[in-house]
Amino acid sequence: MSADVPAVEMHGISKRFGEVAAVDGVDLQIGDGEFFALLGPSGCGKTTTLRMIAGLDIPSEGRLAIFGEEVASWPPDRRPVNTVFQAYALFPHMTVAQNIAFGLQMRGIRGPDADRQVAEATALVQLEGMEHRRPSQLSGGQQQRVALARALVNHPKVLLLDEPLGALDLKLRQEMQVELKALQREVGITFVFVTHDQEEALAMSDRVGVMSEGRLLQVGTPAEVYEHPASRFVADFIGRTNLLEGVTESPSAMRLNAGAVVAAANELPPGSPAALSVRPEQVRLHRRGEAPEGTPCLDGVITDATYLGHAFVYMIAIGPNADAGGSGAGDPAPTITARSETGSTALDAGERVTVSWLPASTTVVAD
Amino acid sequence: MSNLGTAGAKRSSRHLLRANAWFVFAFLYVPIVVLVIFSFNDSERVNVWQGLSPRWYGEALGNTQVVSALRVSLIVAVTSTVVSTVLGTAVALALDRYRFKGRRALDGTVYLPIVIPDITMAVMLLVFFAEAFKLIDVIGPRLTLGVTTITLSHIAFNISFVAVVVRARLDQFDRTLEEAARDLYATPWRTFRRVTLPLIAPGIAAGALLALTLSLDDVVISAFTAGPGATTLPVYVFSSIRQGVTPELNAISTLMLAASITLVVASLALQRPRSTTP
Repeated sequence: MSADVPAVEMHGISKRFGEVAAVDGVDLQIGDGEFFALLGPSGCGKTTTLRMIAGLDIPSEGRLAIFGEEVASWPPDRRPVNTVFQAYALFPHMTVAQNIAFGLQMRGIRGPDADRQVAEATALVQLEGMEHRRPSQLSGGQQQRVALARALVNHPKVLLLDEPLGALDLKLRQEMQVELKALQREVGITFVFVTHDQEEALAMSDRVGVMSEGRLLQVGTPAEVYEHPASRFVADFIGRTNLLEGVTESPSAMRLNAGAVVAAANELPPGSPAALSVRPEQVRLHRRGEAPEGTPCLDGVITDATYLGHAFVYMIAIGPNADAGGSGAGDPAPTITARSETGSTALDAGERVTVSWLPASTTVVAD
Repeated sequence: MSNLGTAGAKRSSRHLLRANAWFVFAFLYVPIVVLVIFSFNDSERVNVWQGLSPRWYGEALGNTQVVSALRVSLIVAVTSTVVSTVLGTAVALALDRYRFKGRRALDGTVYLPIVIPDITMAVMLLVFFAEAFKLIDVIGPRLTLGVTTITLSHIAFNISFVAVVVRARLDQFDRTLEEAARDLYATPWRTFRRVTLPLIAPGIAAGALLALTLSLDDVVISAFTAGPGATTLPVYVFSSIRQGVTPELNAISTLMLAASITLVVASLALQRPRSTTP
């Protein structure tokens, strides 16, 4: 396999179930050896996309190639990919070793050769000593490892993982994130990972594809997607953000509904409704009037201060009516969330402040 | 009402319920116990007790009519069980996983033989065979009622029972296991053999045992579709009763009871959900 042939290549892939398009015109290239995360809320089509790569669903239209081979119409047993299923789908009537050996057997690999490969895979996921247990005798984390070993023993060209950590508790999930990433580096296989957990996607993957309602909205490295979301949905879904509504004035400025004209680089025609995405950790707090000259700023009143140990989270009512009390009658004043390290001076609710940010740390997003 | 009165009422209703339970229990099982005891009666006459003896079991098994009826019963039961298990399982699988023309109609009617009264089914089958024979007689040899017709009839009602039991098992079956097998290079056929079949096997076995029991116990349908040359054991017992109950019939009935109970218990044990430990 040459380096410039993508592991997975999709062109105009759609999948319709009756009238509903679960996946709608997805174009995507996943590189050899990449750890790629498909991220999106439930029902966004990410699992269907994964199932089409596996061959468990056949695309309604579009082209799908795995390492240059057109596989769209191939049955799953002919595809050089393996899947770790969401609830693991281990065979309950087989032992751990029999589960792991299944794929080898189906390809006609038996005897000492198969035994050696099963032993290697068992060692890879640290399940030595569990070979003769049944899946029902294992913990969730152990079952997960069996599912991984059962797939990896076949040395697939692409490993597909459908929310593999979803069924584990938080602590185990975080351990497995680190372990899975290390495992991927070790085996060098392309991983396509489906998740609805944006932190998991950012933490583990080389690149992220964000999906919503069957469409692939943005593909990029975790930093690109987090720092420069291409749309309102992506900005809101990846991490927490403040979306300040307004209208663009020029390619470099935007009028916020909160009452200020601020520097904001954008490619929209002037007069387009848009939102300025400002991450909470990029928001700086100053006592009223002490904001540095030349940075975009807004006046506001702290309505809530939460101590989180490593940081403070402030809710600040902004806009013309903020001083009159953020939670007065009528329309509630827009609020902005700010996050600051604990080392800084603590501010209390009710304090009149000015918030500012660096224009380079913000992104203008349209609908 | 005082608290004391409520407590008293509670106590007496509990006694009543307990008495009722014992009464129902006795109502169901005393006749069986009587049958079993009297099958070991040494006497020539059913209603005269003369002491314990396995004599009538020997007599029954020495009776050529009984032995030949037993042979027919076993041939019919085994053949109809094998055929109806295969067909019933196939029907259950088809209804569970395929969307085809007439699926709804089949889904609704496949269980009909379970609710149709035996006598209706028997008359139906008799008429069917008579008409079919008329047609076949035109081209081939004369056909008569016998082992074949009984077997066909038993297959006809057993398919439904097997289908019901296997479908219940399929309802609990996790289809992603099949997807996992397909993903691990198994062809559809090997997926069925290595994953689906072993996991629904307890349901199939339970259905088969039920079919075997129903076939061995059936009187009405067998009586209608049996010919002069071939009678099943229950039909033999039923026709012998007209000449009066004999201790020999008690012995045969007890043997059939033992066989039925064994099969039903085995069937129920297989239908129990899989325990978490192997």
